[in-house]
Amino acid sequence: MELPNLVRLVYRNIKVNTDYGTLIILIGLPAAYLVFFGFGFQSFASAGSPAHSYLAFLAPGVMAFQTVMAGTVGGSMLWADRRWGMLAQLLVGPFTRLQYLLGIMLTSVMFGLAGAAVMLVGAYLLIGSISIGFLGGLTIIAAILVGSIFFGSLMLLISALVKSNNAYNSIQVLIIFVVNFASTVFYPLSSGLPIELRALFVINPLTYIANIVRDGYAGTLVAGDAYQMVGLIVVTVVFLFLAVRSYMRSGVSFS
Amino acid sequence: MAAITNSPNPVIKVEGLRHTYDGKNYALKGVSFDVRKGEVFGLLGKNGAGKSTLIKVLTTLIRASEGSVSILGMDPVQEGPKIRRKIGVVQQDETFDFTTVQGNFDIYGMLWGVPRAERARRRDELIKKFGLEDVRKKRSFDLSGGQKRRVQVAREMMHDVDVLFLDEPTVGLDVIMRRQLLDFVRQDVANGLTVVFTTHNLEEADYLCDRVAVIDSGRILAMDTVDNLKTLYRGKKTIEITVDSPTAETFYHRLGREFGAEATVKQGEGSALVLTDNPKEALASILNIARETGAQIEWLNVRKDTLEDVFIDSVSKQGTE
Repeated sequence: MELPNLVRLVYRNIKVNTDYGTLIILIGLPAAYLVFFGFGFQSFASAGSPAHSYLAFLAPGVMAFQTVMAGTVGGSMLWADRRWGMLAQLLVGPFTRLQYLLGIMLTSVMFGLAGAAVMLVGAYLLIGSISIGFLGGLTIIAAILVGSIFFGSLMLLISALVKSNNAYNSIQVLIIFVVNFASTVFYPLSSGLPIELRALFVINPLTYIANIVRDGYAGTLVAGDAYQMVGLIVVTVVFLFLAVRSYMRSGVSFS
Repeated sequence: MAAITNSPNPVIKVEGLRHTYDGKNYALKGVSFDVRKGEVFGLLGKNGAGKSTLIKVLTTLIRASEGSVSILGMDPVQEGPKIRRKIGVVQQDETFDFTTVQGNFDIYGMLWGVPRAERARRRDELIKKFGLEDVRKKRSFDLSGGQKRRVQVAREMMHDVDVLFLDEPTVGLDVIMRRQLLDFVRQDVANGLTVVFTTHNLEEADYLCDRVAVIDSGRILAMDTVDNLKTLYRGKKTIEITVDSPTAETFYHRLGREFGAEATVKQGEGSALVLTDNPKEALASILNIARETGAQIEWLNVRKDTLEDVFIDSVSKQGTE
């Protein structure tokens, strides 16, 4: 039996992108955050309030951060396929342009979910015990899924618009840095932060992904998480639309 | 020249094809031709002639602005994915996945839905046939230019191909590699494959193609079998001249003035071609110009009819119209 086009494209994307270098960046960077920041700041957190474990705070944040890493995989895939000619080659194959794009999106989501699962295992090994309920688990999966699509769309949008490899890499590094540190991945949104920084936190979708994942992880889901999820879905749909439109209109798609 | 568009059951049928990228300038200006089953059809033209645009239309990458195209009896606009299942395309540029030679064959076969066992059989067969055994575990990007081209052509044979499009596949290859690659293609043509081959190398077209369309500025200027084209333009001779002196530029300039559109100066290569009905008279004029300009003739050759003469003649005529 022949596999559907989309499955074949996703399989190809995973196969081509699972070299050691990519895996080290994808898993290694968040894992390093978990280990170094986790243990490094654990002493501060314990000093202030022994009841709180910084590692337990950071673990769901790093899981949420996997959505950013998944997005960069999507953008890089499109960029590499353009750079190495495989986009043109695939588009003279039995695929539609939309299937190609969906293939990248689906691959990003899979990388996001797999990365989050690896971080969860890492957190378990470091913390010792984790108990996530059924609803919490589902919520985490949904947040990672939507978050991966959001960051996948954002990176696709950028890679469809940017003309040079250097520019793409620079923008990607900048986005990872700002999105990562102006979010609740590493620390809570505190009223002590400067207002400009707080504004960045508020408009950053990673803040909401981290909040939802954290509440799902700790079993403290509240109605606010549902609102945050709805907001996240709306923003994701908008960015997905923009990414598809840019891709279809740019020379990238040969349309 | 009238287009040949009445072949029985053509594999490719193109009629009145026009294409513009910006709505003003046309890269294709009314192209019509047929390609028959099992034929090697050459599109011969210099850079920017419209060959690659034509290939993009035929391989469904772009939709033509005007005219009609049928590939294997199907409309590229309506049935693009169906057509793409049955064609192979070797692009002008390198196109590889970031993996080994073997990995590229495997992924390609998988993408085209070739069953796993069949995929392995074809991969091994093609790697052997195209002489890639020694490099099968090497990353594709680490291969030499010739090896890369062989991988690109061989990879297209991983799936069932009815029509193979080769867009200048020999660019950057040395003479031996070029000939090897063309011989590989020839073997598959003998097995019934239809090939559309673009090139600006006249010897290649002469060697490989059954019929050739000479294309320039988006128009087909001449189209027939290679032998017929040579017969049609028989009697013309091409004189090749290379001079080496500080006055070379003056020499080529005078040559252009003397022979007009019949002279083609190859700027980058420092040589010139003169097409003539009367080689004796033309040689005397050339030697005279060399004497007057102080140019030292390094090499001079009077060639018998080749496809290059046809190309130069048809493009030159177009230029004077």
